[in-house]
Amino acid sequence: MSNGPLLSDLERLQLNTHDIERRKAFVDFRPDDLSRIAAIKDLVVHNADRYGVTFFDHLAGIEEAAGLTRNRNLLEQAKRLKHEHLIAMVQGDYGREYMEQRVRLGVLYSRAGLDVRVFLGAFHVLMRAVGVDVMKRFAATPADGFESFISLKKIGFLDIGLIVDVLIAERERTINVQQDAIRELSTPVLQLRERLLILPIIGVIDSMRAKQLTDGMLGSIRDKRARIVVMDITGVAAVDSKVANHLIQAVAAARLMGANVIVTGVSADVAQSLVALGVDLRSIRTMNDLQGGLEEAERMLGYKVVYADGASPAFGRA
Amino acid sequence: MPVPILKQGDKLIASLQSDLDDKDLMQLKDEIAEKVGRFKSRGVILDVSILDVLDSFATRTLRTIAETARLRGAETVIVGIQPDVAVAMVQLGLTLDGVLTALDFEEGMELLLATIEGSHHGGG
Repeated sequence: MSNGPLLSDLERLQLNTHDIERRKAFVDFRPDDLSRIAAIKDLVVHNADRYGVTFFDHLAGIEEAAGLTRNRNLLEQAKRLKHEHLIAMVQGDYGREYMEQRVRLGVLYSRAGLDVRVFLGAFHVLMRAVGVDVMKRFAATPADGFESFISLKKIGFLDIGLIVDVLIAERERTINVQQDAIRELSTPVLQLRERLLILPIIGVIDSMRAKQLTDGMLGSIRDKRARIVVMDITGVAAVDSKVANHLIQAVAAARLMGANVIVTGVSADVAQSLVALGVDLRSIRTMNDLQGGLEEAERMLGYKVVYADGASPAFGRA
Repeated sequence: MPVPILKQGDKLIASLQSDLDDKDLMQLKDEIAEKVGRFKSRGVILDVSILDVLDSFATRTLRTIAETARLRGAETVIVGIQPDVAVAMVQLGLTLDGVLTALDFEEGMELLLATIEGSHHGGG
């Protein structure tokens, strides 16, 4: 694993001394917890291998964890890190280095596509195995055993907090990467005929993309001397009032340059939500689909499309 | 500097200059209103392709010119609004509704002819 992404993950989680102390305060970790954990240190270290097996055996039986359990390479890494984790949990040193180890494990889970719920379940199964052993050792003084186990569990929850943060941060990063990809999908402006452009819009329209789209369209109107632009929004899944406003502005700007815009491909859902939002779209000329829009545009430009002789008997030549 | 107004047949043509101030605009408005009547013009073309900004006063004045000219019997086409200018205007809410616009002078002339002819047939 490269250090690059790991470092940025740490920065994003802001693992400074203050934050680490706050995280400990969140789980009510106190100095006396250290001695209680020390009392079960040898037990956990001695059985760490078995706890690890419990954890991964549980995951092996869960279909949603297949991304981890069926990837030999990731699984080996995870087992090694999990073992380190179990040993580190009882060492009494929960500083930055400890946190970094947890983040590393979290990044690994994230790469394996391990779901938060699945991870939480497996971690609980592991803690249960530890708890059973602890209670066995403290059979004579169960109250002490319970306290020791709870102290260990505080560290467990500290770890869960970190790993869940990593999983969420990684998911957000994935979403951002995908959004960038969508944004970078170019919005081509195509010349269909003399004076007629089509502008198919696919994906998500946000302020930035709307600006790119408007600039691209206006530039093409000037360069290609277009009179009509057919803007097809079939591929736009959702249109809220903000997006609608972007479209209205693009249409108004085109009109100032002397070009008419016909908007096509407004789906039933989009139409209903626009009306429900009360967006005033009277300034926009719409046609139901791209074909209708093109035919209307051709009519406005004075084109007449006819079939070549006898090419289409279905078209009913009179 | 005042804007020169050219007479071409039954049309008036004014090319707005880049160093246009509010006084020049007001003068242009008065002159066009007067010349449309004097020359019995049927159309006016206002070329703004040199301008890299059209503020709210200029936009309102252009609209006023178009509406005044219409009352005096001439259609007005504003031509040559540049992409950047168009975007800025829209963001300021200046959309020139009800005023004819065209890409450039040539397109504007064609639109003007079509409009005048259309209204003539409509009226006849």
